[in-house]
Amino acid sequence: MSDVAIDMRGISKQFGPVKALDNVDLQVRKGSIHGLVGANGAGKSTIIKVLAGIYKHDSGNVCVGDKTLDVIAPASIEKDGVHFIHQDRLLVPTATVAEAVFLNNEPRRGFLLDIKRMRKEASDLIKKHFNLDIDANALIRDLSAAQQKIVQITRALACNARVLVLDEPTAALVAAEVSSLFRVLRALRDENIAIIFISHYMQEIMEICDDVTILRNGRNAGNVVASDSSIEEIVSLMVNRDTSEMYPRREARIDEPVLELKDASRTGHFEGVNLTLHKGEVLGLTGLLGSGDKQLLKCIFGLDQPDSGTIALNGGAVKFKAPGEAVDAGIAMIPEDRRAHGVAVDLSVSDNISIASTARHAIRGFVNKIFEAKLVDGLIEELGVKTPDRFLPVKNLSGGNQQKVVVAKWLSCDSSVYLLDDPTVAVDVGAKVEIYNLMNRLAGEGKAILFVSSDLEETVEMCDRILVIYRGKIVGEYKRGEINSDRLLAVASGGAPSGLREVS
Amino acid sequence: MSGVTGPAAANSSMNRRALAALFVRLGAFAAIGIILLYFAIYARGFTSSYNLQNVVEQSVILTMLAYGMTVVFIGTGTDVQQGGVDLSVAANAGLAGAVFVTLLNLGLPEPLAILAAIFSGMAMGLLNGIAVVLFRIIPLLATLAVMNIATGLELTITGNNVVGASSEFLTMLQFGRFLGISALAWVLIVFTIFVTILVHYSPFGVRLYAVGGFPEAARAAGLNVGFNIYFSYIFSGLCAGIAAVLIVSRLSASTLGTGLHLLPVLAAALLGTVFSRRFVPTIGGTLIASLFVGFLANGFQLLGISSYWVSGVQGALILLVVALTSFAKPAEGG
Amino acid sequence: MDNVKKSIISLEALSNYIVLFAFAAIVVIFSVTTDNFLSLENLYNVVANKVVLLAIVSLGMTIVIAAGGIDLSVGVSVDISGLTFFSLLAAGYSAVLGVGAGLVAALLVGLFNAFLINKLKIDAFLATLGVLFIGSSVQRLATNGGTPITLTTEEYSPIFRAISDSQLFGLPSPVWILVGCSIAVYLLLHKMVFGRFVAVLGAKPGVALYSGVRVPRELSKVFVYCALLCGIAGILLSSQVKSYIPLSGDAFLLDAIGATFIGTALTKDRRPTVIGTLMGVFLLAIMRNGLLLIGWNFFWQQVGIGVLVFVVLALSFGLRRREE
Repeated sequence: MSDVAIDMRGISKQFGPVKALDNVDLQVRKGSIHGLVGANGAGKSTIIKVLAGIYKHDSGNVCVGDKTLDVIAPASIEKDGVHFIHQDRLLVPTATVAEAVFLNNEPRRGFLLDIKRMRKEASDLIKKHFNLDIDANALIRDLSAAQQKIVQITRALACNARVLVLDEPTAALVAAEVSSLFRVLRALRDENIAIIFISHYMQEIMEICDDVTILRNGRNAGNVVASDSSIEEIVSLMVNRDTSEMYPRREARIDEPVLELKDASRTGHFEGVNLTLHKGEVLGLTGLLGSGDKQLLKCIFGLDQPDSGTIALNGGAVKFKAPGEAVDAGIAMIPEDRRAHGVAVDLSVSDNISIASTARHAIRGFVNKIFEAKLVDGLIEELGVKTPDRFLPVKNLSGGNQQKVVVAKWLSCDSSVYLLDDPTVAVDVGAKVEIYNLMNRLAGEGKAILFVSSDLEETVEMCDRILVIYRGKIVGEYKRGEINSDRLLAVASGGAPSGLREVS
Repeated sequence: MSGVTGPAAANSSMNRRALAALFVRLGAFAAIGIILLYFAIYARGFTSSYNLQNVVEQSVILTMLAYGMTVVFIGTGTDVQQGGVDLSVAANAGLAGAVFVTLLNLGLPEPLAILAAIFSGMAMGLLNGIAVVLFRIIPLLATLAVMNIATGLELTITGNNVVGASSEFLTMLQFGRFLGISALAWVLIVFTIFVTILVHYSPFGVRLYAVGGFPEAARAAGLNVGFNIYFSYIFSGLCAGIAAVLIVSRLSASTLGTGLHLLPVLAAALLGTVFSRRFVPTIGGTLIASLFVGFLANGFQLLGISSYWVSGVQGALILLVVALTSFAKPAEGG
Repeated sequence: MDNVKKSIISLEALSNYIVLFAFAAIVVIFSVTTDNFLSLENLYNVVANKVVLLAIVSLGMTIVIAAGGIDLSVGVSVDISGLTFFSLLAAGYSAVLGVGAGLVAALLVGLFNAFLINKLKIDAFLATLGVLFIGSSVQRLATNGGTPITLTTEEYSPIFRAISDSQLFGLPSPVWILVGCSIAVYLLLHKMVFGRFVAVLGAKPGVALYSGVRVPRELSKVFVYCALLCGIAGILLSSQVKSYIPLSGDAFLLDAIGATFIGTALTKDRRPTVIGTLMGVFLLAIMRNGLLLIGWNFFWQQVGIGVLVFVVLALSFGLRRREE
């Protein structure tokens, strides 16, 4: 019996021209919590998907315990004792808690399902590990994000997992829930279970992990023992850059206000929000998941309507009943879920860019193709979209270039206010820099940018001003340079008094 | 550290949703209750045991086919456009009936003929499964094509004629009684118990629901999604085969136009979802819905209302149920 | 490894031409096995009598499927339009009024579909399924359970002659109506702004919404255009058979869906197009015609068509590259 629970050696994986993993090693000891960190696009999720059997690696070796796995199938990896708690909560929404906990591992009585035992054991397991009472008969879709995460972990425990892989498990949790989760993880470690813990939050990595593997651009960038290391060391291994290089600077020329929210409220999402966005300004809006930041963007864009309060655009009150009206008024949205809301990947670059403006340039309902060709080609060149021509389907572009297509769409209709909802999520580092440059350029041209991001560092670096939203209320306002990402996290988690200028 | 409570917002909206769902469900039961009560008071003979038995017998075939559709909905999801549906179930029953009668008239022993009918239904189900899983044709189209093939084969076998058949077993099915309950009703009862156990009281059922409810989650839990989809369609074919034998026994002949049952079958399976807490297809819900559809037609008849209203009322009910459940369900991605 | 990849890609490329291959194969087989398949007379017969009505209904279905929906109520639009047309004729109103009212009736069916989908948030499939049920009730009630409305009086014959029996440049006027409808739908889908919106709705409805497309308005247009085309087909149908037969429009539903999806096999990303749909309709028609000429009876034709559709779909969908 070796001491190693997971031994992945020399793993490589290529997607088209992109080397997502290049000779990566990952060893995890039994009875340890192993951190896996890296910037977006560093290869964390790719190596996890290789282990899960979702991607087939091109070369390399995977051992689980003493067993070498030649072929990994999603259907069989759980039998080898490896369980995954995916970031997107992969649970059947219409199942009950008990069914979700015991899916594919149901207690039986003869051929039949032992429903009573299933319910009782599900409740007992949750009670035992988390000291919580969740009704085993409740439906998954009625649970909160944190409760769903707990159900996922409980399922792995019910299956006697030997290795537990947690992908950003704390993203949806509040502070009390996080410490409760950590207590459970430590207890599991003491039961000799190996845990792979993936997180963006460095404090959490330092607090909970024994060892840390750092990935950078699809390669190993280092292995450290958490107790002998520091956040600074890990971060410096994660990113090979000067901050100044990663985040391009810009001279801010902030002009008159464009967008003003007064006392805006939406029941259950945010209340009493006052916000002023100026021409040429990048205004950050940051908060934890579910804090109301995204809902606020939706209300400004007309996807939802505030219950009370006013929204004013260029001094005039507006009430958008649908996004179409917001678009006509010059508001642009760069959505978080690019593939669902940003670009239609099956359609061409041209179709995607022109969709928002084509009606304006139409001649009696007919597409003005000559004008459109000029417009689209101009924008492709202006933004440097890497595509052989405008007829290529967007699915053949990289993430960063797809994002440029979204920006081009709004430039084509001359929008003045840009709502950016996590625009750098799931794009590689190079593309991120390009998106930052785009933001600076838009601001430089006098556009107003409202920037919502889950990446606190980029918020701190990119914004002229930052508003912090906590449980639907603005709890802090900071100018550029007044706050760093650690403090920002503290304020956003509602954990620390903001100290600086508080907004009453 | 006493409890995980999500943001207060999540909880209150969850309660509101659960309440709305409860109202819809209770409303559906109440509506059925009121309508049946109305029939009982104003429609002469509605509550006579003869009439009730008759309605149940008339509903047996519809219910059997609706079970097939229900299992397909369970195993492949209720998003009819992208998920699963079996448009071929009624046509399969027609084909199986034709196979049954033809073989019987050729002098084949009856048990073999019955097996052949059921086999024919399951073979068509397998064809659906191959089309959906292997060829990845969207189910709506795949089962549509299979439906056309089944209808064509049925017409070919029967030459577009009503082919008569009789045997002791068929007579027994048609007229037999046990404990005062007709043989047809017994078939329904036994089969209902069997499907209920399979779908609601076995580990297999839990997995089937998981596959239909969220295939990615099922796959992540190590389930074989393709197998479950095959199973759903083949099971639907089995239901069609059994229904075919019942049709033949009731009418003493294979009849054309069994395919016309498709729409009522769809209606019953869809209406049934309103009776479940989760708004998912269930065997119990489908049973209630198809009996209700039967009682509705019967009540109209007894009240002297034109039967031409029946399909309109069914259509309106589908729209009502779907609209109500879509409002009570959580918003997409919410 | 590379070899395998290459062969998959070429198979995929092949799958884009499945409809053309099927077309060519059918033409060759039937030309060899029958005497008069390729004769002008036979082709004329196929186009003039078998293709027109289905093609017009399929064009409507094409718009809906291109926008990511489906319309099970096409038969209702066809029938309601014919019913209104004939009821008015029977009541002594003029043909122009009858045609106009027929089209308005079809338009109302489309608007009702749009209402269900936009306001009540019902899936297109289920909404139009409900309308299909209700439509059949309406027709039964209006015709006392399904009695056809037949006009025998001589004075009505000029109307029919004008609508369905007349000829223009050697082709029956229904063919010209089909040509007109095809051009109109072609312009709508492939040249106009509306077509752009339809394409985005079909590819990713979320992108349409987030790009400021007025989704409900565009969806309403989609279903209204479809219903109008079906209304035209309904008036042609009743003029051709010289009577209104209740529920006869339902026969178009499955073939229209089949033809549209066969047509999607023509494009690389399986999008419905006008040309593709017309090809699909034509493929079904010549298949049926060819089977008839080689002596298969109607029932075997049904099987043959079913198998053809199945095989085309299986090849077209099955050979597509799997997405990772």
